[in-house]
Amino acid sequence: MVSEAIFDTIKKLLSTHVQESRLINDNEIYFCISSSTVKEDCINVYNNIECVLVNLFANDTTPIDNKLTIYYTFAIRSSNTLFTLYSKLESDGSAKVDSIALEVPAASLYEREIHDMYGINFEGCPDSRELVHHGNFPLNVYPLRRDFKANTRLPFQQRELEFSTITGKGVFEVPVGPVHAGIIEPGHFRFSVAGEPIINLEAKLYYVHRGLEKLCENQHYMKVLLFSERISGDETFTNSLAFCHAIEKINGITYIPERAAYSRVIFAELERICGHLGDISGLCVDTAYIFPSGQFGMMRRWIQLLNEQLTGSRFLRNTNKPGGLRRDFIRNNDKIILECISKLEKEFKDTVSIIKNSGMFIDRVEHTGILENSIAVDLNAVGPAGRASGVKTDVRKDFPYAAYSKLKFNVPEHNNCDVNCRMNVKIEEVMESINIIRQSLGKMPEEGPVSVDIGDLKPYSYGFGLTESPRGENIHFVMTGENNTIFRYKVRTPSFCNWPALCHAVNTNTLTDFPLINKSFNLSYAGNDL
Amino acid sequence: MYNIVKKMIQHGTVTVEYPKKNTKSTYITGIPAFDYLKCTRCGKCISACPTGAVVLVDKDGEKEKVPAVNTDECIFCKFCEEACSNQAVRLSNEFELAQKSRDLLRAAPLYIRDEEINGTDYEIIGKKLNDKVGKKFGRSLNIREVDAGSCNGCDYEIQALNGPYNDIERFGIHFVASPRHADLLLVTGCVSRNMEEALVKTYNATPSPKLVVAVGACACSGGLFKDSYAGRNGIDTILPVDVYIPGCPPRPQALIYGILKAIGRL
Repeated sequence: MVSEAIFDTIKKLLSTHVQESRLINDNEIYFCISSSTVKEDCINVYNNIECVLVNLFANDTTPIDNKLTIYYTFAIRSSNTLFTLYSKLESDGSAKVDSIALEVPAASLYEREIHDMYGINFEGCPDSRELVHHGNFPLNVYPLRRDFKANTRLPFQQRELEFSTITGKGVFEVPVGPVHAGIIEPGHFRFSVAGEPIINLEAKLYYVHRGLEKLCENQHYMKVLLFSERISGDETFTNSLAFCHAIEKINGITYIPERAAYSRVIFAELERICGHLGDISGLCVDTAYIFPSGQFGMMRRWIQLLNEQLTGSRFLRNTNKPGGLRRDFIRNNDKIILECISKLEKEFKDTVSIIKNSGMFIDRVEHTGILENSIAVDLNAVGPAGRASGVKTDVRKDFPYAAYSKLKFNVPEHNNCDVNCRMNVKIEEVMESINIIRQSLGKMPEEGPVSVDIGDLKPYSYGFGLTESPRGENIHFVMTGENNTIFRYKVRTPSFCNWPALCHAVNTNTLTDFPLINKSFNLSYAGNDL
Repeated sequence: MYNIVKKMIQHGTVTVEYPKKNTKSTYITGIPAFDYLKCTRCGKCISACPTGAVVLVDKDGEKEKVPAVNTDECIFCKFCEEACSNQAVRLSNEFELAQKSRDLLRAAPLYIRDEEINGTDYEIIGKKLNDKVGKKFGRSLNIREVDAGSCNGCDYEIQALNGPYNDIERFGIHFVASPRHADLLLVTGCVSRNMEEALVKTYNATPSPKLVVAVGACACSGGLFKDSYAGRNGIDTILPVDVYIPGCPPRPQALIYGILKAIGRL
């Protein structure tokens, strides 16, 4: 087993620091280390093993051991293993730990988030401004602590928002948002501009913070499933799938009926096609090229209509549940799906050849919004944005789930790092998805159940669920409580990783190209803010 | 250019004929409907409902209390349908649910907590304005969409209104870039704490007479995100609302129905 070899390697590397270690759920390794050496150990592992920091979060485990726990999760993508270093901290006001943000840049936002939600101080942190609370939140109130009630009504305070400012001759600031000119979600952008080119962009998010993680605490897992479907509207299926995977892993369900596994693949790919068609349509709108935008919009509607015919929901809501699917949605519908994707394939190829032969369109997208490979690696950019910058990662290949290990497909990759590359990745992925759906329909067994009973949840167990959403790698951490409830639900969506990458990609581009670059990433605000 | 013209001829007009013709098909998910003859009053649907939308009410002609659904709170999750062993609850195809007041959407009387009574006098002014507004905006309407804490499902459906299929511009309705150009605010989401100030500022920036339409279960009542420390229970705790469009998310036709209702064309 590969994971066991890695387990031994890390154990040797950390030697005396490890207080407790375990390998669970096939590929998840957990090491308990002391809070005084956690920084040293993280950097030691990060430098000596080919891995990336994919999650960093805290958990108030007061009911269990009267401590706060902080988890550093790294992924070894080449060998399908997740390993987590965790450390126990005092749960009173003095909780503090050394910051790793200077050595591991991807950690910076996670640390700020934990500080706002738990009040853990990160010493030596390069950026200690508020992230979630926006200055209207009372000081020293930490919503994810156990003693904070989810329905507390807090008074409003007025503290000024802080932005990183750049001063100099001829430099001026352009504030945009939170209510934007188009039909999109709210977020505030502060551009520092010297003439036309942008020299710095700071995105202030968390305007749609709804307290999702807190609301999930102590709720029955079927209700949390509904929350997972509403993390981000257009990623409904993949988010709920990640949650279901975590629950299935925790309960030791290793076998899902084949019909359910293939159905899940089909729905996940339909969602990807739907998302990508919307993105490409948006790119055409932002270059004022209305005809293909209408075409892609029309194709998107075909897929949404198909979704509705299959499941009754245009966003694939109410389809998933831990243990399989709610009903057998694909039965007797093979023909409709095949007809729809064949029609789509032909129309899509025609329209793509029209936009690729348009010089004016290609002129706008080429060499625009370059996200350099080194920055993408440092910030752990994922999904089409990462793959267009040479970060070769795809959860469907690295951590195969549902029936992906039985299917043949390519992961499109490009290396020019611009808007054109991101668009091409998405175009090729749509073609791959059509191919995957055809294969799944062919391989699916004719008869059989679509769900298994998962029984009662094991109390105080934990696990990760990973899926590849249209935007990229999705990681959900679930820890169960007593009586089928969820103790802690930590969601990290691809948007969280890619927002800082977007801020780097716009540098040196003109202000007018920003909508185009933003659309090529098409990140979810709700998926980031939770 | 030749290819573009070819495509245009190939597809012709794709716009759906709603609301001139009704869209009725078996796969549309709408509001739960109860069959009281089959119902045994076991209460399983009430305990299964995650948002508390299914409640017991007095119905005319029934001896005991019977279950009914508060449309403004329903998120169409089908849990009640699955919980009922007698198949007395079924999700119907009825999606034209928009109403001009929240009481009309509810089976049980609306109960608002003291702290949340915000602008009840607005409500009366809003109703008076509404009649005038119908006359003024009869022919064209400019809409400003504001997301105040939704999961972006509603926003994608609003975007679909601009697409070739629903093409809302055929009614003389346009989406504009600034609240200062707008006659109607289309608000989605439960009003998150961080968006409250921005929403009020947007409302104040919209010239009178103006309409406010709440879109989706979150905007109507808080939906699944009810009673959160980071949000409110619906738009009407902050602004006077003229029309409520329930759904999670409401399909584009339901939005068209609601918007036309707001300007008095239905």
